[in-house]
Amino acid sequence: MSQLAEPRTMTAERPGGDALVSVRNLTKRFPITRGIIFQREIARVHAVEDVSFDIFPGETLGLVGESGSGKSTTARLITKLIDATSGSVVFDGQEITGYSRRQMRPLRREMQMIFQDPYSSLNPRQTVGQIIGSPYAIQGGERNVRRRVQELMNRVGLNPEHFNRYPHEFSGGQRQRIGVARALALSPKLIICDEPVSALDVSIQAQILNLLEGLQQDFNLTYLFISHDLSVVRHISDRIAVMYLGHVVEVGSAEELYENPKHPYTASLLSAVPQGTGGGHHRVVLAGDVPSPIDPPPGCVFHTRCPKARMVSGSPDEVPENCRTEFPPLGEVEPRHLAACWYPLKAGEELRQAAHR
Amino acid sequence: MSQVHASPRGEPLLEVRDLRVHFPTPDGVVKAVDGLSFSVRRGETFGIVGESGSGKSVTCLTALGLINRKSALVEGEVFFKGRDLLKLSNEELQKIRGKELAMIFQDPFACLHPMYRVGDQLVEAVQIHDDMSRKAARERVVELLAAVGIPRPRERVRDYPHQYSGGMRQRAMIAMALLHNPDILIADEPTTALDVTVQAQILELIERIKEEFQIGVILITHDLAVIADVAQTVMVMYAGRSMELGARDAVFDKPLHPYTWGLLESIPRVASKGELLVPIEGAPPSLINVPPGCPFHPRCPHRFSPCDDQRPDFKDRGGGHPEACHLSAEDKRRLWSEREARRTKVAV
Ligand SMILES: Nc1ncnc2c1ncn2[C@@H]1O[C@H](COP(=O)(O)OP(=O)(O)OP(=O)(O)O)[C@@H](O)[C@H]1O
Ligand SMILES: Nc1ncnc2c1ncn2[C@@H]1O[C@H](COP(=O)(O)OP(=O)(O)OP(=O)(O)O)[C@@H](O)[C@H]1O
Ligand SMILES: [Mg+2]
Ligand SMILES: [Mg+2]
Repeated sequence: MSQLAEPRTMTAERPGGDALVSVRNLTKRFPITRGIIFQREIARVHAVEDVSFDIFPGETLGLVGESGSGKSTTARLITKLIDATSGSVVFDGQEITGYSRRQMRPLRREMQMIFQDPYSSLNPRQTVGQIIGSPYAIQGGERNVRRRVQELMNRVGLNPEHFNRYPHEFSGGQRQRIGVARALALSPKLIICDEPVSALDVSIQAQILNLLEGLQQDFNLTYLFISHDLSVVRHISDRIAVMYLGHVVEVGSAEELYENPKHPYTASLLSAVPQGTGGGHHRVVLAGDVPSPIDPPPGCVFHTRCPKARMVSGSPDEVPENCRTEFPPLGEVEPRHLAACWYPLKAGEELRQAAHR
Repeated sequence: MSQVHASPRGEPLLEVRDLRVHFPTPDGVVKAVDGLSFSVRRGETFGIVGESGSGKSVTCLTALGLINRKSALVEGEVFFKGRDLLKLSNEELQKIRGKELAMIFQDPFACLHPMYRVGDQLVEAVQIHDDMSRKAARERVVELLAAVGIPRPRERVRDYPHQYSGGMRQRAMIAMALLHNPDILIADEPTTALDVTVQAQILELIERIKEEFQIGVILITHDLAVIADVAQTVMVMYAGRSMELGARDAVFDKPLHPYTWGLLESIPRVASKGELLVPIEGAPPSLINVPPGCPFHPRCPHRFSPCDDQRPDFKDRGGGHPEACHLSAEDKRRLWSEREARRTKVAV
C-alpha cells in the first residue's frame, strides 16, 4: 500500500493550482415520458442547471442542499454514471464529457463513490474479502490480494480476520467501513461520498467521519462530500457549495460561508439548523415549499421564497424585477466567495422574517 | 417565546413508573424497555433522545396501548389523568387514544391512506370521537388545516396525500392529532424525514400549539440539537433504559452520564468548527443480550469494578437530575470537565 501513501502537501486553503475536477455549466434534464409504445416527452425535470465549480487536489468540497436539489445527480454526472444534457466535466486535465465507456474505464479507478446505504451498495453474496479485493483480482496472485485486502481492512478499522464473512454479519457502521475500503482499493484520486453517514447512529457517525479525515491525510485524497446535514458538512469540508433547485447558489470556504453567508438561501438554511443552544437564535423560517423542478420559477429560482428580495422591494408581496426575470450569475462577491444573487447579503446583515406567510 | 420556564408547570399529566416491555422472539427475549420511569407535565416539551433501537418508540406505543399485549410482556404503570392506562380495556383505550392522547409519526405517508382525499380522512377522524354532522366536521377540518399552516385549506382538503409535500403531510398529521384537543401530543421523530428548513417550520408549529393549547408534548428524536432547542426536559435512553433525565440546561451543560458525554462529543456542532469528534467505541448492544450491570459498560472509558455486574440504580442523587451510573458525583464532575477541556483545546 506504500505507493498510496504520499505525504499530504495541500493545505486547507484553496491551493490555487490546477483543479482535479472542473465542472462547467453542467446541466441535466430528465425527460418525463408518457405512453407505452410511443413514448412522448411531456415534461422535463430540471435536476441540475448550469452548475460550475472546481475541486482542488487534497481538499474536501462539501455539497449541501435540500432533498431534490440535485446533489446526487451532480455526483453521477461527474462520474459519468449518467450523461449530461450539456456542459463539461474536466477530470485531472482530461475533458471527459464526450468519453465513451471504454475511454472512461481507466478513469473509473481514479474516482470512487461511497454511498449512503451501506446495505444495498454491497453484494450480499460476496465475502468482504471478495468485495474489497475484486479490483485487485484482475491483477492476479491470490495470496497477494489477500494480504492487501487485509491491510486495507485493518486501516479502516475492520478485523482482518473477518475476511471471509458476509456483509449481513456486520453492523451498519462496519458495513460503511467495508464501502470505504472498497473505494480505497484502487488508490483513487477522488472519492465522492454521497451521504456517507446519514444512515448511521450518531455515535457511529463520528467514527466514520474521523476515519475519512484520517484517510484523506494518509493518502492525499480529494473528497466531494454530499450531505444534507449542515453540521457534518461544516465539520469535514474545506470549501462548500450550496445547491437549490438544481443551481449552485453559493461557493466559499467553510468558514466564510457559515460566518458570512452571501446568498439569502444559504443564510435561511443555516438559520434553520438547530444549534443545540436552547433556541433563542435568530431563525428565518422560509415560507412555503421548494417549487417543483419540473416547472422551476423564472428568473432566480429562489425568488418565490426569498426574504431578501422582499426586503429590497419593501413589500411582502413584491420582489424586484431582475429577481423575477433573470437568473443572477454565480459571481465573486468577496475574494474566493461566490454567490448567485442580485442582492447578496452584506457582512453582518440579518434577514428579516419574510412577512408573507 | 419565553423559555424561562425551565421548571415544568403544573401536575404531571402522564406518569410512567418502572415500565418494562419484553418481546419473546425465537432468538430470545428482546428487552425493548427495561425499567423506565418519567413524567410529563402540561405546557412541557419532554424530549426523549437515544440511538436507534434504544426503545423510544416502544415506550410511547406502549403508553398508547398500541403494543399487542399477547405478543409482549408489559409491566409497570402508565398513569394518565389518574388512571393506569395499562389496566384499561381496548375499548376504554380507544376512547382516549387519538383524543386525549394523540400521536404523530416520522412517516406521515404511513398514516394517510393514499387512495382517499386528505380532507375525507380528517373528517372521518373527527367523526370517530365526536358526534358531528359531516358539514360541521368539514368546517373543523378546514379550520385546523389553516391553523397548521396549509395554504388555501378549503381547496387543499380535496387533494390526495401524494399531492402534498412532505412538510404539508406532516402538517396534516398534526392537524389530525389536534382534532380533539388532546392533553398530550406524542411526536415520534416528526421531522426526521424532512429537510432542515421544513423541520424548522414543523418544530415551530409544535411549539406554538403547545403554548396555545397548554398541552404536554413528548418529542422523540435521535437529534440532540433538536432536543436542545425545543425541549424543557430531556431523557437520554440507552438499551431500553434511562441513563439520565433532567432539565434541558442541566443535561446539556452538566451531563452526568458517560453515555451522554459520548453522544455530545460525537456530534459536530455548527457553532464550533475544528472540534475533535470523539466517537463512542463499539456499537449499541443487541437487546436480546443486554450486557449485565450497566448496559453501557462495554463502551464506557470510565468503567470500574461494579459496572460489569451491578446494575446502577436510576435515582436522583441530588439536584433533581436522576441518572444511572456508578461513578461518584465528584468523579463525574472531574471527568466531564477534563473531557470538556480536551475538546475545546483541540478546537483552539
Ligand atoms: N432518473 C431520474 N429521472 C427523473 N428525475 C430524476 C432522476 N434522478 C433524479 N431525478 C430528479 O432530479 C432532481 C434532483 O435529484 P437528486 O437525486 O440529484 O437530488 P439530491 O439533492 O441528491 O436529493 P436527496 O438529498 O434527496 O438525495 C429531483 O427532483 C429528482 O426527483
Ligand atoms: N414487536 C416487536 N417484536 C420484537 N422486537 C421488537 C418489537 N418492536 C420493537 N422491537 C425491538 O425493540 C427495540 C426497541 O425498538 P424501538 O422501535 O422502540 O427503538 P427506537 O429507539 O424507537 O429506535 P429508532 O430510533 O430506530 O426508531 C428494538 O431492538 C426493536 O427491534
Ligand atoms: Mg441524493
Ligand atoms: Mg423509533
